[in-house]
Amino acid sequence: MDENSSARLKRRLLGVVYRIGLFLAMLTICLPGLWIVISSLRPTVEIMAKPPVWIPQEISFDAYVAMFSGIGKGGIPVIEYFRNSLIISVTSTVIAVAIGMAGGYAFARYRFRGKSSVFLGLMLTRTVPGIALSLPLFFLYVRLGIIDTHFGLILAYVALNVPFTIWLIDGFFRQVPKDLAEAAQIDGCTRWQAFWQVEFPLAGPGIASAAIFAFLTCWNEFALASQLTRSVSAKTLPVGLLDYTAEFTIDWRGMCALAVVMIIPALTLTYIVQKHLVGGLTSGAVKG
Amino acid sequence: MKGFKPSAPFLLLLPAMIVLAAVVVVPLLLSLYSSFTPFRLTRPETFFVFIGFRNYLSILSNGDFWWAFGRTVLLLTIALNLEMLLGLGLAMLVEKATRGQRILRTLMMFPMMFSPILVGFQFKFMFNDNIGLVNNALQSLGVTQDAIPWLIDGHLAFIAISIAEIWSSTAIFAILILAGLLAMPKEPIEAARVDGCTPWQTFRYVTWPFVMPFAYIAMTIRSLDVARAYDIVKIMTDGGPAGRTELLWTLVARTAYSDGRMGMANAMAYFSILLSIAFTVYFFNKLAAARTQIGAEW
Repeated sequence: MDENSSARLKRRLLGVVYRIGLFLAMLTICLPGLWIVISSLRPTVEIMAKPPVWIPQEISFDAYVAMFSGIGKGGIPVIEYFRNSLIISVTSTVIAVAIGMAGGYAFARYRFRGKSSVFLGLMLTRTVPGIALSLPLFFLYVRLGIIDTHFGLILAYVALNVPFTIWLIDGFFRQVPKDLAEAAQIDGCTRWQAFWQVEFPLAGPGIASAAIFAFLTCWNEFALASQLTRSVSAKTLPVGLLDYTAEFTIDWRGMCALAVVMIIPALTLTYIVQKHLVGGLTSGAVKG
Repeated sequence: MKGFKPSAPFLLLLPAMIVLAAVVVVPLLLSLYSSFTPFRLTRPETFFVFIGFRNYLSILSNGDFWWAFGRTVLLLTIALNLEMLLGLGLAMLVEKATRGQRILRTLMMFPMMFSPILVGFQFKFMFNDNIGLVNNALQSLGVTQDAIPWLIDGHLAFIAISIAEIWSSTAIFAILILAGLLAMPKEPIEAARVDGCTPWQTFRYVTWPFVMPFAYIAMTIRSLDVARAYDIVKIMTDGGPAGRTELLWTLVARTAYSDGRMGMANAMAYFSILLSIAFTVYFFNKLAAARTQIGAEW
């Protein structure tokens, strides 16, 4: 009897410890983001207050209003940055996914000599740090006159994304059984038709998530964008964030608001694709 | 080349090859060449002066460079190991949860959605000595009365940067290890328990070997992108105070764009490229080894 109750107590205690641990872990993960959201909604006086004001006394959307009411009022041209980010990210994603589909299909469906070294070679081009790559690109782009243009950045981002989209899409095509396409071909489809009618729809959700992953990479990229863009005509949001910092002062509230604007599309998109993303990363790799 | 007919995979891979050659390989060759010249942005004619290995030699005898190099390796070692451990812990916590696992998984991925530049900014805000969340919390709790100079003291700044880096990347490990845990069949664990294994033994000899390939996938993905620490450092301290948090990448950027010494910066950049490649190749090999091991056991 005694043993029973002490075992039960121990178990309940472990349960409580586990709950507390989980809660603390989740708190650590979420707190920084929440803090940004809260800070973007409170007046600057409260952010700067000493002793600190923990619970917001008043909520205001001033920072957002100021941000979207154009240059002069909000300080930085957010709308232009947003537009640049969107154009560059979407275009380069579409191109990178088209190229990635061709490459991924080749890796998933064909055997050829040096397959694994070609794969490793592709991945190695991705490891080149953005800042190291920006040096020669900067020089070349100045010579070619495509510095500070959408085209220049799109080109760079396509190259940045191709290796990883190939990896992901390769994984998704592997999940589609070979027999299906073969059956379609026996029934009279050409290989081309079999691909579009059978394999593509089945791998579709996976390809969509690869696309979103590529989009996020472009959306968040900073090292290349900060060197290859100069003005409002091509600057993206991550680079625009720096506009809020002067030499010794920082407009914390404005920065927080811009951060929220940047994070919302990313948050939504990631939420949509999370399941496929993990599946794609692991399936291609484990089943070899 | 008689009767050479390009094969299908070759044609399919051609676009990828062309783009990567144009945007990565050729520029890198160019930068390799310019690392052998005293090229300065302000004096274009220096591009054609060949000075052999002089840039490399002066880097090798440059104390700042070696500090930055050592610091980069140290940061990566600390960050990757802790990310791995914390990610494992987090994944096991979430896997144990009986209710609300979907919500927990989504919350867990939260930091992955933050761009590194945002992570840097957000931690710069939180570690601000005057108005930051961390100091405010410490003072309100009565731990200290002083404003701890998180980003102004060299050592503390390094810790702050490591925390930011770990916060942003633990999610990748956690999510992939969790995928491994969820994919794992339950029978071996039950069998181990029946056979009288302690929880630690079960973990060490049953769970861990199974989860390892997933951890290596995470490592490989991370190693493809180790240089994202540049964004974080750039915005948090910009290499300061007095170069105490200078990483290889910020040093390259400063040499190239602030000082305009492109030739020298390119030579440094090659060190950072080699470092990245070394990391990636190492983890790719580990991944391949782990894969074959799993294949043999299944």
